[in-house]
Amino acid sequence: MRIVVAEDLYLLRDGMVRLLEAYGHEVVATATTGPETLEALLARRPDVAVVDVRMPPAQSDEGLRAALAARGQLPGLPVLILSQHVEQLYARELLADGSGGVGYLLKESVFDADQFIDALERVARGGTAMDPAVIAKLLAGGPSRRRLEGLTAREHSVLALMAEGLSNQAIGRRLFLSDSAISKYTTSLFGKLGITDDDHHNRRVRAVLTYLNRP
Amino acid sequence: MRQLRSWAASACTGSVRACAVLVVSLLVPAVWAGAVALGIRWGAGNPWSWTAPCVLVCGGTLALSRPVCRMFRHLVARWTATVVPAGYRQAGPVTRMSTGYWWNGFGYERTSRDALLDQKWRIRWSDPATRRDLRFTAIAPFTAGAVAALPPAGVAAAVLGLGRPEPAARAIGVLGLAVALATAPYAWRCAEPVAVRFLRASPAMALAQRVDELTAQRADTTVAQAAEIRRIERDLHDGAQARLVGLGLSLATAEKLMETDPDRARALLREARAGAATSLTELRELVSGISPPVLNERGLLAAVRAFALDSPLDVAVEAELRLRLDPPIESALYFGIAELVTNAVKHARATRARIVVARDGTGLVVDVEDDGRGGAAVRPGGGLAGLRRRLAAFDGTLEITSPEGGPTRARMMVPCASL
Repeated sequence: MRIVVAEDLYLLRDGMVRLLEAYGHEVVATATTGPETLEALLARRPDVAVVDVRMPPAQSDEGLRAALAARGQLPGLPVLILSQHVEQLYARELLADGSGGVGYLLKESVFDADQFIDALERVARGGTAMDPAVIAKLLAGGPSRRRLEGLTAREHSVLALMAEGLSNQAIGRRLFLSDSAISKYTTSLFGKLGITDDDHHNRRVRAVLTYLNRP
Repeated sequence: MRQLRSWAASACTGSVRACAVLVVSLLVPAVWAGAVALGIRWGAGNPWSWTAPCVLVCGGTLALSRPVCRMFRHLVARWTATVVPAGYRQAGPVTRMSTGYWWNGFGYERTSRDALLDQKWRIRWSDPATRRDLRFTAIAPFTAGAVAALPPAGVAAAVLGLGRPEPAARAIGVLGLAVALATAPYAWRCAEPVAVRFLRASPAMALAQRVDELTAQRADTTVAQAAEIRRIERDLHDGAQARLVGLGLSLATAEKLMETDPDRARALLREARAGAATSLTELRELVSGISPPVLNERGLLAAVRAFALDSPLDVAVEAELRLRLDPPIESALYFGIAELVTNAVKHARATRARIVVARDGTGLVVDVEDDGRGGAAVRPGGGLAGLRRRLAAFDGTLEITSPEGGPTRARMMVPCASL
């Protein structure tokens, strides 16, 4: 894949480039500031971009803004946001345009390189990768907790993994269950929550998140 | 007819009020007159007969000046809704030292009663408000008192003059009646401007009070800051630092075992990775306790929205303004809101909360309401007292109304020049 890496700290940028190249991907450009990121994304049109939230010049949320601006001009441009902290607020902004191909992970998710590359490829294909920390916060929140009271523990964990953006096969691998068992769980929990099921990952994630956030 | 009736009503209340003003402002002159009468009765020529009247005059004036001013302020506040701030110096806390003596801010005393009494008199003696009160008791009879005397004096002249047959006396009586009728509804109103002009705190007193406030705030801020730094140091020392040491140990051992026991080495490396992830989580929590990242990245409103999303309560955030305040004020307000919402969860057992951020003429107003069981109060040393102290550093205020059974309404106000 052709990848753009936007990260202002040299050590992390360098490590990220080496990790991606070790998995056989090509880093076509690196950026260290918000404006540079926007320019690189628009000029290179990568298969996927890895973008840090906080970048110069103002050290606020330049990276996130650049990614959102680029997706505004090139709808569906796959972007994986990496950050030291994850916020539901930012996750919603990323998912808001509904065109898919977004990821939002904590920086330490690169510790498990296989899973990280997996998530990156999922985003590049137009899927979704949400950090478990965002999902945990979401499922623990006020309005959604009441809605989830009818679910069994197993359905709950399937829902959490689904909200991260995993497919049925991937959920099955994580939980050591067969595909058919997972699809049984998803059907029953979609039924309990009243969400219409379809096989597109991103639509599934959006359905789950929208449902949980409804006041 | 109706006009006549309303005039009669205002004349009646006016003359009652004028009499009240007259009585209050004549209390001290009455003491003086009584003392002089006493001296004359005991023998005007004999100097010794004036000793007791002198003591009476001094003692009476000193003892009565503060109550007279209080009554004046009370009457004016009640009739006109003009509140004249008293500006008396407030007593500091009396604390028991480790030696067993009581410290009252001026000196040490053996018992707390002595310490309180000593403090009271020292404050009374050094308070500039005492001199202002004395001056007021001298001024009041000639200003507010003199004007308020017009209706009763007019009535007295009318009663005395109209009862006599001479035309001159009758003319004076008619004149007195006219004066009494004309001034009855208005004479008492003179008390308000006099009180405002002579009873308010002088600029020097206001400055002295401000210096006291600022000194207390500075002490509070220093203490709070030191405590905060100690907390951060402890968290880093027991958390991230210790974990990094463990991480280094695991890596060193894994390096050693790489040749001889690769399986154990691999297990150690996995452990090290988990340790790194845990210390990152701890550092993230520590950072969000010092300064939440969203607050730095997006400002107060986004940070409050993010906090509301993460809260177990159903929190509605209403804010129409889009502006960045000074970072220290944003931080204080953010942590204030966080504390109030956390209290709603922990103590009030609320299910929903509402946060309204708005501006009024002078600054920013933040309202936090919940549907919990109420009963919140600002207790010394409690979380709300701490919040009030932190807001006071910006001249901000915290008001809580929280009846038993709820709901709780908290309002934080911070004056902002930048609005």
